[in-house]
Amino acid sequence: MGLNHRAVALQLIIFVTQWGLMIIGFGILAAVVGPLRIQSDPSLGRYFDAAVKAMIALVLSISWLFIWDRQVRVYFYRKREDIAEPV
Amino acid sequence: MVERRHRNSQRGRFPTTDNPSLREIISFIIGSDDSAFMLPSGWEVTTAVLLAIISVPVSLVLTRFFMQVNARRGIFGIDVHKLSKPRIPEMCGAAIPVTLILLSSIYVLIGGGNSIMMLAFSLVVGSAAVVGAVDDRLKMRGIYKPLLTLLCGLPIVALGLLFPNQVYNPTLQVPIFGSFHLPVIYPLSIPVAISVTSNTTNMLDPLNGTMAGGVSIISAALLIGVLITAPAPSAVFLYACLLFSALGFFYFNRYPSRAFAGNVGQLSVGAALGALAILSRTEIASIVAMFPNIQNSFFFLSKIKRFTEHRALTAKPTKLLDDGRLASSSDPKAPLTLVRTLLVGRPAKESEIVSTIFALFLVSAALALITMILIG
Repeated sequence: MGLNHRAVALQLIIFVTQWGLMIIGFGILAAVVGPLRIQSDPSLGRYFDAAVKAMIALVLSISWLFIWDRQVRVYFYRKREDIAEPV
Repeated sequence: MVERRHRNSQRGRFPTTDNPSLREIISFIIGSDDSAFMLPSGWEVTTAVLLAIISVPVSLVLTRFFMQVNARRGIFGIDVHKLSKPRIPEMCGAAIPVTLILLSSIYVLIGGGNSIMMLAFSLVVGSAAVVGAVDDRLKMRGIYKPLLTLLCGLPIVALGLLFPNQVYNPTLQVPIFGSFHLPVIYPLSIPVAISVTSNTTNMLDPLNGTMAGGVSIISAALLIGVLITAPAPSAVFLYACLLFSALGFFYFNRYPSRAFAGNVGQLSVGAALGALAILSRTEIASIVAMFPNIQNSFFFLSKIKRFTEHRALTAKPTKLLDDGRLASSSDPKAPLTLVRTLLVGRPAKESEIVSTIFALFLVSAALALITMILIG
């Protein structure tokens, strides 16, 4: 069976980049965001802390997906700007 | 690992009061931990793999059964990527959840694994299969599938609260950087995780064999990762079971397809991947292994900006040429699916696109394996 070698090579670059970024992102969460204690209140402060950390994780995830989006558009749709209108 | 052998627990005992707690009732129903019925520990992993291999013939026979029954009942799908537009029996993917639940039950009965984990897994897979079957028959609106599959994750949360540390562990293991504890966020994210994995698997089955083949590659990589790093028998069994049952179905689903999975197969297999990520603590590796699915779903949703069914799209991502090859759509409103991306500027045969997608799954599976080795 045939294989689109160009597409596989480009996707390999995208996947490896996203994989590296993901490990760095989880590293930031584990090493920096995780140990943060924003509120010292033992009851409600726990939930406030969790919500803030979830928001930070959400921002990191959106940035990660944005970089993914740019990569696919640059590598695959560069010559077809009409198709690759930004999201 | 979450894996536990609670030889002195209350499991298998009759409830001791007139008003037994829910925990006592579940413990009684799911069986005994009497050491006489348990496998010797050195053989647990080997037995798990050997028993899981039975999934291949079971899945093959069940797929064949569903092909005959569904064809008789007129449950067909049209293979739109072929010039002859053949009618193929639909909903045959039901063979996979049936095989998974059947084999899990047998595994628990022979005393081979953590029965609470097996119960959680079976409930998630079973409920996702029901959602898929209802969607196959009633053709629900696109928004209902993600909402209903959110509910499919609740058995893990409920059993995790009833049996702490036996179902899931809220400490996320991160490659290189150690781990971090998520006591509040982790249980809340379980239903979301099940919904995402089941729906993203559902979305990447546009061509013959892509879902079954892709899931086989993912589960094979994660099985190898579990065997290398921390071979808990239940996790090994469930990954092996998913791999072999998907392979059994793939035999009939591969190009050119003789059986279609339907939502019943796609949602339940996706839910199985999500449940396994949580139960066997392979969350990050599972995300990496599902990179092709993530790319496909993200670009679909970012373009369409709503949950919808492929059948409801006015602008299709691909078109069939007169020579039988597929080409990328020139309609700017069409979603940028993975298949469309692979076809940009280069029309290709369906079999070629399927091979390319499998190559992408092999890349992401290799990265997932490296991730598991880095976690250790």
